[in-house]
Amino acid sequence: MPPIIRFDQVLVIAHEKTILSDISFTLFSGEKAVLCGKSGSGKSSVLRTLLGLHAVTSGTVYFQEVPLTPASVQNIRSCTAYIGQEPVLGAESVRDALLLPFQFKAHREQQPTQQQLIDVLQRLQLPADILKQDSSRISGGEKQRIALARGLLLEKKVYLLDEVTSALDADSKQAVFDVFSDPDLTVLSVAHDSEWLERCAIIFELEAGRLTQVKRHEHP
Amino acid sequence: MNTLDIALPQMVLLYVLCLLPWLLLWLIGLRLSRDIGISILRMSIQLLLVGIYLKMLFDLNNPWLNGLWILIMLLVADVSILRRAGLKVRYFALATFTAIASSILFSTAYLVILVIQPTHYYDARYIVPLAGMILGNCLQGNVIALERFYSSLRKNENEYTTFLMLGATRWEAVRPYFRDAIKAAINPTIASMATMGVVSLPGMMTGQILGGSEPWLAVKYQIAIMICIFTSTTIACIINLKLSLNIAFNPFDVLKNKLIEKH
Repeated sequence: MPPIIRFDQVLVIAHEKTILSDISFTLFSGEKAVLCGKSGSGKSSVLRTLLGLHAVTSGTVYFQEVPLTPASVQNIRSCTAYIGQEPVLGAESVRDALLLPFQFKAHREQQPTQQQLIDVLQRLQLPADILKQDSSRISGGEKQRIALARGLLLEKKVYLLDEVTSALDADSKQAVFDVFSDPDLTVLSVAHDSEWLERCAIIFELEAGRLTQVKRHEHP
Repeated sequence: MNTLDIALPQMVLLYVLCLLPWLLLWLIGLRLSRDIGISILRMSIQLLLVGIYLKMLFDLNNPWLNGLWILIMLLVADVSILRRAGLKVRYFALATFTAIASSILFSTAYLVILVIQPTHYYDARYIVPLAGMILGNCLQGNVIALERFYSSLRKNENEYTTFLMLGATRWEAVRPYFRDAIKAAINPTIASMATMGVVSLPGMMTGQILGGSEPWLAVKYQIAIMICIFTSTTIACIINLKLSLNIAFNPFDVLKNKLIEKH
């Protein structure tokens, strides 16, 4: 089975500063991985590089064994769900935020039903009446889960998560863990949270833009 | 009817009038003498030169010379738009030039050839002032469009990136900012059309009336020029922003911040 994500000796230099240096790793379908390291060690840059937001200076990034190029980047973005620490919802109401990606040509045919919206909210421990709320008035933890709900509605299989549990209480965190216990979902994440780390089979340690250690748990 | 001339001593009287606002500003503690002085001097010298040039242009009435004058106006406008919008001239000059040149040439040609129909289409008395007026207004619109678009894109970079991550193409992701910028650019023209004649008497109309034209004729010209300004501003802003999208982003749809100065 070919890998989903592969970095091959990736070097990223931006504004004359080395952000990532000689990064090589592979992630297969269904694997859950976490990037660890001090702030500024390049964890988030790995995710951003995969999404084409940092230009690769040398080496190659592969997604489903297709190299990252201007022609392939939209496919990578359409196939992955990226959820940042402070997700931007990009619409006035929560309902509009959930339906936002379905306005774009890439997802226009996948319009979810009202029931699907409610089901996905329930899965993430969010009440159905949040749909009517102003998206600027909901909490950080709710925003993270709404962003995650968008990925689920789009039936994404690959999740790029940047500190996604940072603003969650115990119950909502459990709901998020349950979502990612699905063996079909591939996760590449950035986290400090020890509970999250325990659930990831692969831990990549980064230091000053370099991959210093790879740990694998047999039974996450 | 001929317009009364303003003789040199009376011109001096005008400059004397400037002392009044200067004094008032000085009294309220605004030290703007230098700025005011430079502005008045620049205005006077520039208009004097334009007067000499226009006189020559009208006397010769040569289509090539008229064309060259319009080309110079376009080039100056091009640089001025980009500087004021905070974009690097070197990179965006061709896009902005294409946008303003095509829209100005189109609307001036439409106005002169189809509407006014002078004996010679290249008549300097028509094309030079009309193209100049349309261009002047078009310039304002383009500055607003570019400035608004790139500053709001910068301000909302996270939102723009989120749209991309949700599967939007570059065009789909910039569309909300694009629409806002175009709206901001054409709003002043729409508003000025709505209040024209009520709030203020338009400059060109006043000029024509002072020049001895019948009010009806002046009104018709004013309507013609306003419609052309509106048309060319809209066309130029849309073309300009659209073309700039190919320059301001890298192939991965990331905004090249170094091409845009901080506002």
